[in-house]
Amino acid sequence: MQHSLIQPQKPDPIRAMGIIALNGMFDEHDAEGVIRKAAELFGDKLAVVSSFGADSVALLHLVSLVNPDLPVFFLDTGMHFPETRAHVEVLKARLGLSDVRTLVPDSRDLVRFDPDGTLWEGDPDSCCHIRKTEPLNAALEGFSAWITGRKRFQTAERGVLPHFELTSDDRIKVNPLAYWAEADVAAHKSDHDLPEHPLFSEGFTSIGCAPCTSAIGEGEDARAGRWRGFNKAECGIHFDVSGEIAPPQIREAPMLFKKGRFVTDPFKPLGENANLKGVRYVHVPLSKVKDNLDAIRQNPHPLGLLIEASDRVEDVAEDLDRFSSVAVSFPAFGDGRGYSTARLLRERYGYRGEIRAVGDVLTDQIGFMARCGFDAFAVANDATKKALEKGELAEISVYMQPVGLTEVPVGTRPFLRKPAEPVARRP
Amino acid sequence: MYRYDEFDLGFVSGRVGQFRDQVNRRIAGELTEEQFRPLRLMNGLYLQLHAYMLRVCVPYGTMNAVQLRKLAHIARKYDRGYGHFTTRQNIQFNWPRLQDVPDILEELSDVEMHAIQTSGNCIRNVTTDQFAGAAADEIIDPRPVAEIIRQWSSLHPEFTFLPRKFKIAITGAPQDRAAIRFHDIGLMAQENAAGEVGWMVYVGGGMGRTPMIGKRIRDFVPHEDLLAYLESVLRVYNRYGRRDNKYKARIKILVHEEGLATLREQVNSEFEEVKGGVLTLPEEELARIRAYFAPPQFALSDDRFDLAALKREDAGFARFVEHNSHPHRHEGYTSLTISLKPVGGVPGDATAEQMEVVADLAERFSFNELRVSHEQNLVLPHVAIRDVRAVYDVLNAHGLAEANVGQISDMITCPGLDYCALANARSIPIAQELAKRFGTAERQAEIGPLKLNISGCINACGHHHVGHIGVLGVEKKGTELYQLTLGGDASENASIGEILGPGIVAEAVPDAVERLVQTYLGLRKAKDESFISAVKRVGPEPFREAYLAA
Ligand code: HEM
Ligand code: SF4
Ligand code: SF4
Repeated sequence: MQHSLIQPQKPDPIRAMGIIALNGMFDEHDAEGVIRKAAELFGDKLAVVSSFGADSVALLHLVSLVNPDLPVFFLDTGMHFPETRAHVEVLKARLGLSDVRTLVPDSRDLVRFDPDGTLWEGDPDSCCHIRKTEPLNAALEGFSAWITGRKRFQTAERGVLPHFELTSDDRIKVNPLAYWAEADVAAHKSDHDLPEHPLFSEGFTSIGCAPCTSAIGEGEDARAGRWRGFNKAECGIHFDVSGEIAPPQIREAPMLFKKGRFVTDPFKPLGENANLKGVRYVHVPLSKVKDNLDAIRQNPHPLGLLIEASDRVEDVAEDLDRFSSVAVSFPAFGDGRGYSTARLLRERYGYRGEIRAVGDVLTDQIGFMARCGFDAFAVANDATKKALEKGELAEISVYMQPVGLTEVPVGTRPFLRKPAEPVARRP
Repeated sequence: MYRYDEFDLGFVSGRVGQFRDQVNRRIAGELTEEQFRPLRLMNGLYLQLHAYMLRVCVPYGTMNAVQLRKLAHIARKYDRGYGHFTTRQNIQFNWPRLQDVPDILEELSDVEMHAIQTSGNCIRNVTTDQFAGAAADEIIDPRPVAEIIRQWSSLHPEFTFLPRKFKIAITGAPQDRAAIRFHDIGLMAQENAAGEVGWMVYVGGGMGRTPMIGKRIRDFVPHEDLLAYLESVLRVYNRYGRRDNKYKARIKILVHEEGLATLREQVNSEFEEVKGGVLTLPEEELARIRAYFAPPQFALSDDRFDLAALKREDAGFARFVEHNSHPHRHEGYTSLTISLKPVGGVPGDATAEQMEVVADLAERFSFNELRVSHEQNLVLPHVAIRDVRAVYDVLNAHGLAEANVGQISDMITCPGLDYCALANARSIPIAQELAKRFGTAERQAEIGPLKLNISGCINACGHHHVGHIGVLGVEKKGTELYQLTLGGDASENASIGEILGPGIVAEAVPDAVERLVQTYLGLRKAKDESFISAVKRVGPEPFREAYLAA
């Protein structure tokens, strides 16, 4: 942690009591009791951190019942929905919160790491770090404990969340709503007639920054809409019980079909003005690679290569090994140039990384593609997705000709057939 | 002939199942017509003016009696009682219903037939000399290599979405009966200095709106490297052939625009890479495939025709022998062509009954072998000379003994405006009128060999570009007009016909052809100087004058 130099007070009473005992003191749903206890234990060393998201009002309401003057930190990442800012004002007025403090990222960090505001695209972890973790760490200086609105039901990692948590920087994180279910939150909101976040009714049940939040479908994990498509479920400010950063959870992205199933795609679209020396997990078009070879060679991160149908793979043959994925584009299913490209990649240049088909990829082509060396398929067509999910790949099981290096080893007979029988005799 | 093994059977029945699924998805609306189109085309299913059309593959034009009977059965059960043999040595059914097509394909697979790759932008059915394995002038039987090409090209994963369709023709004889220089790739058997047989390769031939004669890209490719060489050509074409304009997407345009030298260089450098790899054809494999095409057990015989005697006895039979038999490599045998061009009929059409008659004849008199020629005729390749009379009598009884092969009434004719959505003009009625005018035995005997081909539009399905006389349907201000071309030749002396002048109305076509024929008769040096030889000797001018003289 960046701010581990800060030595928060060591609250002896807690130590004495032990976190475990503290966690045993309250009825699971007694959120208000937990907040009172925290206020009593930490006094003015206690803060609240709120996203002012969809459910935040429940916690903030309970806080206001205990002490509306507790400092409430709102992390203004600069990327929030305008509705969220409006919601902050509404809640301040409605709940009488007197000390809402807006935390903003360090402008020097922004200039340095995210000059064009697209860091979230390629590297959300770093984005969250400069926009949330750093400002919060700075703000929490001098505080011994902070209250969060996290709940067990929200994500798999939070399934063991206690009321009181000791974090690795020796602060206490208080989770009054840890045992609340979604329905409890909803009931609390309606019992007390609390104002809804304006976006809640539009399907946003977990609201973060605008670019990283999407509406979720029915039955999806409430936070499925956050960082949709990334191996990311938590930012740097939440830690698991042992104080480690919660391990990233793979969540299925519905697009990339690989090894017989849909998997999370770590790759993102390339931003227009992205810095090729620093980007990661993007497919850089072959023409750009050619024109920026030095930048690409200096870039230390995982990168992909995008080969358009009219590109010549020969032009980047020497740098192929640098890419962990090659995307070969099919502008239309009838445009078969990509098949030749894939075979050249595998057979002539010995490329061993992922070759993914992108563009107009349909079920009936996937068998052909696989034989030419493709091992991943970015599927947009709904019928194709459905067919693949059901395992109904239009499979071709017998081949009439050898293709590639593995189907028939060089030097063996290409066509393995039964011998002929004598031609019919004239009767 | 080639017989399916378990592998082929698995391949074809797998495809039938797959296509059945695709048809169901189409009918259920899960596939749009646009998405379905390439899939159905890959399975030989076209959408025509009136209905779907199913094109069934007859690999290199070879089949047996059981297969032809199955085609007759399909014509009867799923179509209107007939089928249409095409210049691609295939057969088309013009009226199948979409929901029946999977059943048809399944029935076909029972007799080792399919419709795979008879359409779409893939490598099409390989075509060859209809007398392959029988002709006296042949260096080698091209069918084993044609079969190997068929296997290599069947659902080739790299070459199933080419810029445009791709046609390969192959001949084992110096006399080119397969029009190899009008295909995307033409292969002609060659003997090199060391006495080994291999293949001379032509590339970029084709008809259509931009007719081109294939150019020689390589003098000699040994058997073992042939597939590697073909793959090299196809890869260069797949990568660099034009895809922006379907009229410029054939490989002939690539050859034309890039130049033969450039293309040859690209192909050669590709060939250097793939040569010696998995596609190298081992001699044992070639021998194994060759065994399928082993010559039948011919009887020893020194029978031969005595035409003079025949003419005295039976002029009709003599004419049949003279025109419809082709010299056989085995003494005492001949190859008989069954003309599907009866006067007044639709060129290439055969009824279910006729197919069954021919199937019987093949079984009884031709070692169960049959061929389809690119001139839209059927062939019994191995008939003992002593059996010819019996065959003739059966044919005659079923209206199949037209003695006009290679004559003016043996026309290649496309469906034209009667069936084809693209046509400018009718073709079949023109063919019928011309057959009436010139189709008598006497006139044809006088004129001698003359190929007259008719297309209803510039797409040239009727091969008018290579007709000694070509008739092309054009449209001017809503009227059907016809342009005549002269001097086309599909043989080893390939040439493209020249347009003689402005278009004329349908009624004027027989007279115009008449003037061309009269001009020829007037200027030929001897009776055995054929029409095309005379045209090549004197040039088009006298004919142009005659054409314009109306
Ligand atoms: C960089 C990362 C993150 C930061 C800095 C951050 C910060 C915060 C803060 C300050 C709150 C306010 C507490 C509240 O509203 O009650 C909060 C709440 C919450 N956070 Fe995070 N968070 C981050 C990532 C995540 C992630 C990855 C998830 C889930 C997967 C998550 C889920 C929640 C939830 C469910 C709440 C409860 C309140 C609500 O839903 O509006 N957060 N977070
Ligand atoms: S939520 Fe998205 S934009 Fe906001 S800080 Fe995190 S990654 Fe960046
Ligand atoms: S030549 Fe024209 S009219 Fe004739 S079949 Fe072809 S497309 Fe139709």
